[in-house]
Amino acid sequence: MGIKLYKEPELNTPIMLCGWPGIGNIGISAIDNLRRALKAQEFGEIEPLDFFEPRKVVIEGGLLKDLQFPSSKFYFLRIKNQDSIFFIGQEQPTEGRTRYAEGKKAYKIANLVLDVAEKFGCRRVYTSGAAVTQIHHTVKPRVWAVPNKQSLIKEVKEYENTIVMSEIDRRSSQGTIAGLNGLLLGVARKRDLEAVCLMGEIPYYLQGAPWPYPKGSKSVLEVLTKILDVEIDLSQLDELARTVEENIEEFLESLYNAEAIPPQVKDEIEKLRYAKPAEPGPITEEEQKKMMEHIDELFKEGGPQDEKHL
Amino acid sequence: MKSTFRFSERPKFENPSLIVGWEQDNGKLSPKVIEYLNKKLKSKSFCEIEPMDFFSLAGVVIENDVAQFPEGKFYYSQRNDLVIFKSNEPRFERYRFLNAIADLAQSYCKIKELYTISATSAPIAHTSPRRIFAAFNQHQISESLRGYGLKDLNWQGPPAISSYLLWVAKNRGIPGVSLWPEIPFYLAAGEDFQAIKLTLSFLDKKFNLGLDLAELDEEIRIQNINIDRLKEEDSEINKLIGMLESELTLSEAEQVELTMKVTELLEKKG
Repeated sequence: MGIKLYKEPELNTPIMLCGWPGIGNIGISAIDNLRRALKAQEFGEIEPLDFFEPRKVVIEGGLLKDLQFPSSKFYFLRIKNQDSIFFIGQEQPTEGRTRYAEGKKAYKIANLVLDVAEKFGCRRVYTSGAAVTQIHHTVKPRVWAVPNKQSLIKEVKEYENTIVMSEIDRRSSQGTIAGLNGLLLGVARKRDLEAVCLMGEIPYYLQGAPWPYPKGSKSVLEVLTKILDVEIDLSQLDELARTVEENIEEFLESLYNAEAIPPQVKDEIEKLRYAKPAEPGPITEEEQKKMMEHIDELFKEGGPQDEKHL
Repeated sequence: MKSTFRFSERPKFENPSLIVGWEQDNGKLSPKVIEYLNKKLKSKSFCEIEPMDFFSLAGVVIENDVAQFPEGKFYYSQRNDLVIFKSNEPRFERYRFLNAIADLAQSYCKIKELYTISATSAPIAHTSPRRIFAAFNQHQISESLRGYGLKDLNWQGPPAISSYLLWVAKNRGIPGVSLWPEIPFYLAAGEDFQAIKLTLSFLDKKFNLGLDLAELDEEIRIQNINIDRLKEEDSEINKLIGMLESELTLSEAEQVELTMKVTELLEKKG
């Protein structure tokens, strides 16, 4: 069990763009929106049984009809300047109860994805995820770029609205990228394959929220479309971003009104509204920790209940 | 490479049926049914699935003051037409675990059919008759079990491990059925002897086991008396159970209240 290719398209030194679900679904939404807009064609998949639990069973009239697993699919695209392969995974493989991929399964699936990249002569791999940071949800998110080779730093610094780790205050070029977005960078480095992770910023008080953060996805998409030298219609994503922003405003307002979070937490969130992204963080790590204790609890309370399984 | 199985004996079978039950289940139905069968048939374990790859072995769980250890064991009895498998649900490598069950059942035991047992909680009163819902993986076995009073299941949603095993069996051409006896939701944390009895009655009839289920009648009687007393003492509980008996829907808060009070009662009595 492993990779199943339905066809083997001839591609000219393509790049590969990979998306998995994660915080705010920023990465997968950016990559999948691009794939859909450019009408990339499906040509293969990673077979799920070694990696995933079934998501859904279909039993009709007493007869077991189907058991459905999360898909991990490859798509290809030929365009004027840059052939591309897209990889879209509906889930990150986990072992035990962790939220993000780790362990043997994650390493194995990362290698399978890169096997396909190398088979088709990919020159570079892009992954995408979320950068959890001190910004307000009304602010345009920047994109944090992390390459797996020093030689790529100069190039990624030139991407619009993009920063590298050393440009982020107090982080001094250090950090971690959880899950497959990070692992893929490392495994690609091991294979001497160039890779870059593009992470759209998300306010840290929303990192546990059950809804997407399309604003972050849009920032990533703007970078990717420049890289591919294509233009796509972003109006649907804009519309979704507006709706989500309104919902966040309403949600926070209802929490403030119900005094579900203490006034100082409200003040701390509001401080972020007027901070410029380039400024040092307007609140301290300690304040951030206190805020998260309250906000995470609220999302947990509103989270999904135990589902029935049959 | 270490084998997945550890045999203690090598009994012979003649096209047996495999009955699978899980250690954790609503109303303790699945473990109770298997324990009852094993006791009445004087079954012995003959093979065990090595736990290392499938369970968290970082310590032990304590239940009812006793340290537990996860296991998956196959049992045989003098009835060479039956194999019983009882197990904790694996935490890791579930697909490989389920294939291991199917491997042994198919290659060594040469089973002809699979039966899985798991309860489903339902918005019914404890005084209501129970039903067994069934999901089949082939038309033929569905047809062969007509006349046993099974109700066809309809469900689209997250799969339980029994459905996953049924699917694994289907892919291997093993006919199978998942039995889903219903239990009142407020007995889910306790024991539902009526559903246990109904499930055993089905197996008794299907396999001609000659089981004497009278001792379960006594458990049912005592449980009903205890719940009746609770109804007398607590008018709200009386009202909620009355609503269920009239097929009315309870709110989430009402369901929680009823479940908590009945569970507390049964724990005290237990």
